[in-house]
Amino acid sequence: MKRWTLSILCVFLAAFLASCGRSVPLEDLTISLILGVDLDDEDHLIISQSSPVFSQETKKNVETYQVKAKSIRDSRKHFDALATGEVTAAKIQVLLIGKRVLEHEGWFSILDTVYRNPAFSINTRVIVVDGPVSDVIFYEPDDKPQLSLYLKEVIDKNIMRSRTVVDTLQMLHRQMYEKGMTPSIPEIKKENDIELVGTALLEEKGKYVDTLSIQDSSLLIVLRDEKKQELTFSIPMTSLDIEEGIFNKNELSIDVSRVKSKVKTTYGQGQFHFNYDIQMTVTVVERLFPEGLANKGELEKMIEQELTSRLENLIKNIQKHKIDPIGLGIYARAYQYEQYKKVEEHWGEALAESSIDVSLDIDIKSEGATR
Amino acid sequence: MKNIKSEITLMQYILLIHGVQMGVGVLTLPRELAEKAGTDGWMVLILSWFLSTTASLIIIQVMKKHPDGTILDLLTHYFGKWVGKAAAIIFVLYFAVLAHVIFAREALFIQAWILPYIEVYVLILLLSIPSYLIVRENIKILGRYAEFIFFMTLWTLITYLLPLEYAEWLHLLPVLKEGWMLILTSVRAAIFSFIGFEIAFFLYPFLQKKEKASIGIVVANTLSLIMFLIITIGAFAFYSPDEITLYNEPTIEMLKVIEFQFIERLEIVVFSFYLFVISTTVLPFMFITVFCTSWLAGKQDHRRHLIWFLLIECAVVALFPPSFDRNTLLQQTIEQAGLIVAFAFPLCLWAYVSLRGLFKRRAIK
Repeated sequence: MKRWTLSILCVFLAAFLASCGRSVPLEDLTISLILGVDLDDEDHLIISQSSPVFSQETKKNVETYQVKAKSIRDSRKHFDALATGEVTAAKIQVLLIGKRVLEHEGWFSILDTVYRNPAFSINTRVIVVDGPVSDVIFYEPDDKPQLSLYLKEVIDKNIMRSRTVVDTLQMLHRQMYEKGMTPSIPEIKKENDIELVGTALLEEKGKYVDTLSIQDSSLLIVLRDEKKQELTFSIPMTSLDIEEGIFNKNELSIDVSRVKSKVKTTYGQGQFHFNYDIQMTVTVVERLFPEGLANKGELEKMIEQELTSRLENLIKNIQKHKIDPIGLGIYARAYQYEQYKKVEEHWGEALAESSIDVSLDIDIKSEGATR
Repeated sequence: MKNIKSEITLMQYILLIHGVQMGVGVLTLPRELAEKAGTDGWMVLILSWFLSTTASLIIIQVMKKHPDGTILDLLTHYFGKWVGKAAAIIFVLYFAVLAHVIFAREALFIQAWILPYIEVYVLILLLSIPSYLIVRENIKILGRYAEFIFFMTLWTLITYLLPLEYAEWLHLLPVLKEGWMLILTSVRAAIFSFIGFEIAFFLYPFLQKKEKASIGIVVANTLSLIMFLIITIGAFAFYSPDEITLYNEPTIEMLKVIEFQFIERLEIVVFSFYLFVISTTVLPFMFITVFCTSWLAGKQDHRRHLIWFLLIECAVVALFPPSFDRNTLLQQTIEQAGLIVAFAFPLCLWAYVSLRGLFKRRAIK
């Protein structure tokens, strides 16, 4: 008897509680892989998205839409009205932000749903587009894989080669709220093709201030001590006094195999002092001038001089804009907490007034396979 | 009683207590500590560990006076039948509310993170079935369960270390940002994480080697401390001190950055395993609740009481659907009670029992 009641109860519960009735086949989903946020000429918010189409009958394998909407979540209803399947945001690979958006303070609140809704992926790459986002998102090159994959590959490859900074939604959140650091985001532009421009620098409240070239982005990565797999510099040896000619005879390229940046943080005379001690172990991978013009020691000196002056220029530029993409504020907080606490709210200005010295030490490990 | 026969090994005893301490609190712990004490929050944990270990040792000292019975038998022995019964009712209320708070919170977390379209009462109903199957057995089975779950879910700690690739350890400096006072005043935020060791009141008589009870409870507390420290320090290094308070559950949020070629959204997998860890908190609380009620009724079998408990639980959840706010409110209330049950009560009892012993010895002389 008891056994019977139990088994009837089990059957009842199994029937009543089975809640996986709502399965959705992949073909019926519109999986957004790229999300674009932009402003049009009259400053209306434009949200765009691109998703793959799983069908053999269609000619194109992506569908892309662009709508005017009040917010990202609000845009979904417009997308649902347009797209084949249910629009989901869980797999967004790339978030494109138009530069026009960044020119206004307080744009970050638009991204609220991305962090609030647990369904969003937090590893989405964030990219700034110089120009309208629609130029990029509607771009359908014949010789490239699907745009979302292509964009992600372009960015990831350049991150691996230390040519632009890593920026996922997670990191953007950290940089936006961290008082001792200002955000920096990879920037692309569409001319004939899509190409990486460098790194867009934002000020404390997220407003766009400047773009670093690819070379300068590498230097920023050195200052942040975040070198990934590869880091290369090409430097003209102007002091060697060689005629340049068509073939850039004074060019020297180095591959940095190891870089160690140490920062010493002190406070005195009403300002912060940051002393950079950067040690690089490098390999010469390209040298267009003949052997014997400079010995190893002289070469090291010349590279040091050139890179130091580039780094100093970068730092000057950063200080001029009163921003801190390096994150020196984090060092200031860690080592000079009491002084930092006083200037925390306007750290960019405090950094502009502080002194930053760079001492670079180059060690040429090898000059390559040929003499 | 049926339960008296079953005995638990030292390992089961340690992991039962540790399991009870590793509850839902861990998910929000880094934020709560950061709100109170900033990045120095981890030091608060060490201080709380010290306090709760002291309280645990006092509990063991008390229980030593009457090694063959639970706290209820001990109270009856010293103060008579009615005090014992009154204490049993208080314990029932305390553990029942604790079990309810954590059970409902578990369901709320599942709803928020995994199954947003399912009603909470359905989840509670589903969770009740395996809970019944385990809690209807004796304490030995619960001990084995705690042991099994501990080793089964230990790997989740390794996945937790993966996001530290993006960590910035400078966030932790300087140590002692705002001085000792802030740490001392924040102890309240951390001490609740350690609540749960008071189940030793009920575990002690079942322990095989009673001479190891003290060392066992210290090990259990320390194990919990290590887990809390790894999780808190990890989250503090991963998040900027300016942003960590913006996340409701930083512990799960952190796992969202892990991405493999073959799996995305690993946080859902880890969280699903974490549900087992939460169950090692809920189930002992349920067990002790029905243990107390059947003690009150003088019955051997606690199954019927358990069914009633689970039915009432489902009814309560269906009639008053829990929300995070209400659940937090209830949690804060029961945590206040926890301070009394786990800290003040053992201390008073210990003072009474030792003084009484002292007077008795004098009287005999």
